[in-house]
Amino acid sequence: MLEVRNLHKRYSGIPAVDAVSFVARAGEVTGYLGANGSGKSTTMKMATGLIEPNAGEILFEGRRIKENLMAYRQRMGYVPEEPHLYTHLSGLEYLVMVAQLRNMDRTSANMRIHGLLRLFGIHGDRDVALSSYSKGMRQKILLSAALMHNPDVVLLDEPFSGLDVGSALILRSLIKELAARGKIVLFSSHELETVERVCSHVVILHRGKVVADDSIERLRVLMAAPTLEEIFSQLAVEQDSEAVSREIADLIRA
Amino acid sequence: MHSDWSQAKVQFGTLYRVFLLRVVDLEVLSAGGDPTRLIRQFVTIFTTVSFLLILPALVFLVFGGGMPMEAKWMYEHFLIETAMTVAGLVALLNWDAAFPDKRDILILGPLPVRTSTLFLAKVAALLVAPGLAAIALNIFVGVLWPLFFRSSSASFLGALRAWPAYWITFLLASAFSVFTILALQGLAANLLPRQFFLRVSGFLQAAVMSLLVSVYFLEPMLESPAALTSPQNQRLLEFLPSYWFLAVFNQLNGSAHPALAPLAKRGWISIAVAAFAATAALLLSYSRIMRRLVEEPDILPRAHSISWSPQWGNPLTQAITFFSLRTLLRSRQHRMMLGFYLGLGVSCAVGYANAYLGGFRSAGTTMSVSFLLVTIVTTILTVFSLRVVASLPISLSANWVIRITQIRPARDYQKAVRISWLALGLAPPLLLMAAILVAAYPWAPALGHFLVMLCLGILLVELCLYTFPKIPFTCSYLPGKAQIDFVFWACLMLIFRLLNEGAEIESRMLRHVLNCTGLILIAAIAAGAMRWLSESRASSTEDLLFEEEYSSEVTSLKLN
Repeated sequence: MLEVRNLHKRYSGIPAVDAVSFVARAGEVTGYLGANGSGKSTTMKMATGLIEPNAGEILFEGRRIKENLMAYRQRMGYVPEEPHLYTHLSGLEYLVMVAQLRNMDRTSANMRIHGLLRLFGIHGDRDVALSSYSKGMRQKILLSAALMHNPDVVLLDEPFSGLDVGSALILRSLIKELAARGKIVLFSSHELETVERVCSHVVILHRGKVVADDSIERLRVLMAAPTLEEIFSQLAVEQDSEAVSREIADLIRA
Repeated sequence: MHSDWSQAKVQFGTLYRVFLLRVVDLEVLSAGGDPTRLIRQFVTIFTTVSFLLILPALVFLVFGGGMPMEAKWMYEHFLIETAMTVAGLVALLNWDAAFPDKRDILILGPLPVRTSTLFLAKVAALLVAPGLAAIALNIFVGVLWPLFFRSSSASFLGALRAWPAYWITFLLASAFSVFTILALQGLAANLLPRQFFLRVSGFLQAAVMSLLVSVYFLEPMLESPAALTSPQNQRLLEFLPSYWFLAVFNQLNGSAHPALAPLAKRGWISIAVAAFAATAALLLSYSRIMRRLVEEPDILPRAHSISWSPQWGNPLTQAITFFSLRTLLRSRQHRMMLGFYLGLGVSCAVGYANAYLGGFRSAGTTMSVSFLLVTIVTTILTVFSLRVVASLPISLSANWVIRITQIRPARDYQKAVRISWLALGLAPPLLLMAAILVAAYPWAPALGHFLVMLCLGILLVELCLYTFPKIPFTCSYLPGKAQIDFVFWACLMLIFRLLNEGAEIESRMLRHVLNCTGLILIAAIAAGAMRWLSESRASSTEDLLFEEEYSSEVTSLKLN
């Protein structure tokens, strides 16, 4: 179980994450939703240990991750929002480097890396520099790097970004499969339809605060809304989308 | 028509500023780093060099006395050659920015910007950096030295010609360097197949840099009428542009010697040809390459290369060593800087040995002091250059992967960095040296010198590690924080003097087995002590450093 307790993060005094608490359980996919700038990626980075919260704590299996960050990192896989990679390396070189940094056994690492590259359909381009890769291909490298050590906690920040339809369908099934195998999956996305299909439980963030934390079924009943999109619109969208679109069209004509 | 012109002017100004900033790779800078501070640092270096270069002129001014023609020509030639080399090196730093890249096409292509505006903005930005460097270098030199270069027979007004003559000549000479480099690059870009050009471009840049540096330090001294008119030197002079511009200066100054006339003619023709070739190459590149870039596929299939991965130790050491090696081999910026430090240092050492130590001849079984000096300098510089280059990051935004995979304490990373530096910074010069030692010297002094260099190398690696709680190429760069490289270059001549003393002592000690053993023991103890110090420091280091910050300054008001 990954538990986030009363997490706070401020940048220059402005709260990015404000008293966020939720629990992501093993065996289920926890959807983490929110508009741009709502604090999703900041929470994700705090859950990886990349940034320190100003207050609050994150617990993994009942222990603070800070107590033994290195052991936690060993069991955690992370796909960041932006595909920042060392682009002077090839896809294969990058994955081998990550496996070595994770102290993986050489034979097992090679088997997994080549297998993942084949299954993601980029084995033929494994020796090409990452600078030449498309966004979708980079995303596949990030997914391979996050999963190859068989982590217990999988943190996915916009993992569908740039993926083609086929790969997106594979990833959607993979996320469910990982949860079915007992892993903790925390999954942040803007694609509400995918979240609705994949997640059993969602946390909705608005301006850094949790405004909903429940199963999708219960939220539907509570909010009297048939879809996650409507639930999300009621909780986290302040603007009237149609009015804004009309204003934009008017503005560019002026 | 008028609005078109105004729009083009605004676009030119915007693009010019964008292209100019590309000279500095802003991504390497730390969050607290200021790009203007970095530029100021470079300008300060050139201005300081300019001040140092007027010191001999101040001596002449204070003690009076006329300067003989040969001395005049020697100083004129030295200053012109320095300006050409500096302008050339700065132009080489701009190598990647000279031609439009895919990013330019993708961002600017959909915008209503004329190719001519893009071209002019690029050219203006390309010329500003070497121009500024050349002006900073001549800021003091160009005021004081022309006073001594005036024609002795000239009247007062005639004597004033020396100043404009000097400034015009150094600008022309600098422009010649820049234009030649642009023309060469443009020619290669247009003649070679695109993918092949991209592959060889980095090597071409390194080759031009090596040529510039070695010509600067190893060019023969021919600054006398006899040498300039000697038939055996004529063929050589046809390939030495700095002498052409020496002749141009004397022609403009009104002090032309008949021996210089054909060289001056060559100078005028060459600047015209270089300017024409550079413009033509740039125009051709913009009209052809831009189209080709758009049509280029995003990803080209590549044949699987042979992967050779020797074992350097544990997986962490493997990861860090290969990451460092690949960064050095593939990042042009890092390769250039490593080559610059190494090339400049070794050329200085060879030049120093030739000028002051009488070359590399050895007497019987005795090793020449010159050889010892050059090998000492090479060992020091390879390790030192690697330390300097490793402090420049390759991609700060990609460092997250190293942070989230940190599953070992910081001291394990330092051990891995140590092995990677020994392998990349120390092994190559030692292997090269071993080959020369085996071929040229008897085994006893050769082995002695090799072991001393090994201990010196280990000592230096440990010294570098002592202040380096980082992974190479991953920590942000903070301009002005690490002053060691500037201090090093400022003290270069003094260091050579000291190293020369060291080489002489070593040469004497290598002649006797007992002394030689003693020397090796002392070097080994020093290396061991340094290793103990750096390991003690590493074991107390908790975190790896990824972001350089200015150290906090506490100012006491002394009120109590």
